[in-house]
Amino acid sequence: MLTKDIPVIKLRWVTWALAILLLAAGLVSFIMLGGFNLGVDFESGLSQRIRIAPVGAEVSYDGTQDMVLSISSAALTVEERGDAGVRVTTLRFADHPTAADLANALNAMDGISASAVDGSLKSTALLSGYGFPATLGEVAVKLNFQGSSRTAIDEVRSAVNPVGNAKVQTVGSEDSSTFQVRFGIKDGATQASMEEEVKNALAAHFGEGNVVVLQSDYIGPKFSKSLITSSIMAIAVAMVLILVYVWIRFRFAYAVSSLVALLHDVLAMLTVISLLRLEFSSTTIAALLTTIGYSLNNTIVIFDRVRENVTLNKSAPLAIQIDRSITQSVSRTVMAALTTLLAIVPLAIFASGDIRLFAVNMIFGLVFGTYSSNFLAPSLLHWISQAQGKAGKKA
Amino acid sequence: MKKRSRLLIVLAVVLLCGYFLYPTIKWYGFVPQQTKELATGSNVQIKEYARGQASRDLRELKELVASNPQAALPSKYSFLKTIAKANYKATRRTAPKSWTVSTILGGFSSEQALFNALESNYRTSLLGVKALGNKALQLGLDLRGGMSILLEADVASYEAKKGSSASSSEIAAAIRQDIEILEKRIDQFGVSEPVIRLQGSDQILIEIPGAADPERVNSFLRGKGSLVFKMVDTDLTAELDAFYKANPGEVYTDTGSLKQPDFLPAGKIAAGYYVSDEYGIDELERYVVINEEVGLDGTHLESATTGTDGITGRPVVNFHLDNLGGDIFYKLTSTNVGKTLAVVMDGKVKAMATINEGIRSSVQISGFNAEEANDLAIVLRTAALPIELVVSSQQAVGATLGEDAVSTGLKAIIIGFILVVLIMFGYYHLSGLVADLALLLNLFIMISVLSAFNFTVTLTSVAGLILTLGMAVDTNVIIFERIKEERRVGKTDIAAIKAGFDKAFWTVMDANITTIIAALVLSQLGSSSVKGFANTLAIGIVSSVFTALFVSHLVFDATVTDREDKKLHISWRKN
Repeated sequence: MLTKDIPVIKLRWVTWALAILLLAAGLVSFIMLGGFNLGVDFESGLSQRIRIAPVGAEVSYDGTQDMVLSISSAALTVEERGDAGVRVTTLRFADHPTAADLANALNAMDGISASAVDGSLKSTALLSGYGFPATLGEVAVKLNFQGSSRTAIDEVRSAVNPVGNAKVQTVGSEDSSTFQVRFGIKDGATQASMEEEVKNALAAHFGEGNVVVLQSDYIGPKFSKSLITSSIMAIAVAMVLILVYVWIRFRFAYAVSSLVALLHDVLAMLTVISLLRLEFSSTTIAALLTTIGYSLNNTIVIFDRVRENVTLNKSAPLAIQIDRSITQSVSRTVMAALTTLLAIVPLAIFASGDIRLFAVNMIFGLVFGTYSSNFLAPSLLHWISQAQGKAGKKA
Repeated sequence: MKKRSRLLIVLAVVLLCGYFLYPTIKWYGFVPQQTKELATGSNVQIKEYARGQASRDLRELKELVASNPQAALPSKYSFLKTIAKANYKATRRTAPKSWTVSTILGGFSSEQALFNALESNYRTSLLGVKALGNKALQLGLDLRGGMSILLEADVASYEAKKGSSASSSEIAAAIRQDIEILEKRIDQFGVSEPVIRLQGSDQILIEIPGAADPERVNSFLRGKGSLVFKMVDTDLTAELDAFYKANPGEVYTDTGSLKQPDFLPAGKIAAGYYVSDEYGIDELERYVVINEEVGLDGTHLESATTGTDGITGRPVVNFHLDNLGGDIFYKLTSTNVGKTLAVVMDGKVKAMATINEGIRSSVQISGFNAEEANDLAIVLRTAALPIELVVSSQQAVGATLGEDAVSTGLKAIIIGFILVVLIMFGYYHLSGLVADLALLLNLFIMISVLSAFNFTVTLTSVAGLILTLGMAVDTNVIIFERIKEERRVGKTDIAAIKAGFDKAFWTVMDANITTIIAALVLSQLGSSSVKGFANTLAIGIVSSVFTALFVSHLVFDATVTDREDKKLHISWRKN
């Protein structure tokens, strides 16, 4: 237990100066860098997660039925639909451990011809990306497998360069040869034409069929516009409602202080996002709102304590009451931050893509939220109360 | 409230959640993968499968009874015994003393009755599994792989084609027709349960779980040229009918499709005449023999509308053919006056009409009720959408990535959970375990509420779940810190617990109500991926308040007394 109170009010100039310094840095970087690194859902375009993976087998079909090949984690399935109804053939990886085995089994089926390109590849490494379940036809469907060779990010950059307006990022460890590629939308381009262009550029560099598209997102111009407005709306409405609630439950000074603290959290997070060039997507909005909720939670717990102490002992000056309240809450503050952090950090380490982005944002959000609830909001409450007191005396 | 009634409430909540969670546990834990795949198919696929299996079983039973009538009934057919018993009773025959294959089969009036019993057994069990799957927690497209496409009506090109500006109600009507047509077309896919839904006023959202193949979706937006007109052979149809009636085991192949009997000459095929039943599934009405040769291809269709016959007032379908199609159709109809013409889609006969005279380009078909006429018009129209659609946004996730996301998400949840549990015990001693219990219960309640309300779990809701784990212990932390403080001022354990919970109550409420405001706003105004997150967060807040204020409180009240051996352990230190 702390024997002395934390001098929050004494430190108020320092803590606010630090906050303002950070926000100013954010503003500068925002202007210098020309805005955020907008994600595909805010900036229309095409975003694909690709993996460079060797072709293990090719399958083609020469017949009149509708043949569909699909891949799950444990088996490859061929579904035959046609005049004679549906027939499903399942090839379990346990029974067919290599690409060569799979090709042999497929070959034995009516009308299907399959050939192993690299028969030694393991069936469990089979990838199912964009284009699956695949309809079999005369043009061979290629089965890709996770390979062992590594691809450098520069290779991918130069491959997609001809498409123009491209951004490339590595996903996961470098060994996985997985990349996120993003393209801004071009005038007159459609989803199909852009996909085609990217596919051709990658095929020209890595060879036909050696690239698996694990995920493909296309956002048209109209859609991204409506997303921006709805997100800003959501944040604004949430903040106003919270202000009203705190005003009713506490007092005006508390409401304004907590709201300014929230504003700081949002701006500070935007600063970090801008400085570190983190992607700004709808996941970021979720992280921003969670931070608002979390930081508010913290602020309310502290303010609740302040209010309680003020009613218990009306004679003590507010500055001392505030310091006291924050100190009384400190072990709770630490535990809350620590447990939430423990839940989020594994996500930032193990997850990828949107979830990881969310977790990274949230780690910063936790830090800023805790900072603002313990230092910024209480000192603001002190200032506003002082001003109200002076105004009250004058009147 | 008395301890006992509080305990009852907690037990009731746990039981209720267990009830909601049961389908999820059963579906993900105990249904074999192959059964899952069969059950997630469309109703048509289930039907075909049941028919195929029943045909095979019927043959097997017949062989068995031929080789050894006294053989015991294989255990997988034991359900037949109950039906046979009931049949013996219904026909007032004395039930046989020993149940052998032959006495059981004797309990059925005909082969058809036996076939029906077998088929319905397969069908009910699969439909049961399917119903279970629908009640289980649904994974979003980003976790199980699949595509979601937002299409937008191309109003500009619609107006250009029409030559004048279109009113909003006109466009709305055209979009509704588009949706009807898309629904028909997607049936041809046989993919599991696609979603087609109007979004806003001029957008259509299509979600196809499990499929991430843009080619299939494109072909489905373009439509398939699978609609043809073929001539019906009436004599052979009668012969086929008689044959099937006599040999119910010979109607279907093992895959549940029609078996082509040997007596049909080359160039003739047996096909089913299907009528959509009330669930929208094509119900097999009867069998017809049609020419294999295509009379007219559906690509020649230009438009199709429904109307009423001026004289009889009966509903009719009118359709127009292009010039070439008109010529072909005239040749076909004028040489086949008095015969029957069938509209065949995907090998299924959808409509039949008698040819009265040679017809050129403008055709009228009658002989059905208004609903059937409307259905047929939609079938005929599948060639072209009234208003063109352009892709506004498209998200596709391959199955591999989805599986990775599930496994990493689970891993992160488990690690985070263990860390939180350890630190709570490390800091709060036995009371930390109470918080851990509350946390576990919290997870349990959240997942069961998610499945009860049929929320779809996406990547962002997994994030929400994990975040809630961190925040849920916070409520307990606030209370524990309060109890510690009260003890420090010298209160007894029981008094400290009471004061701690009382004083923390409004702190907890205020803190959580403000967070839930943010969550609710998000769930209403956010984009769809944010909504999943917000819903999970909102559920998590409510359940964490319940578990902390109610369950933890109860545990403390029940276990702590002022006796020395039942002291409160809330810290490893003395105080």
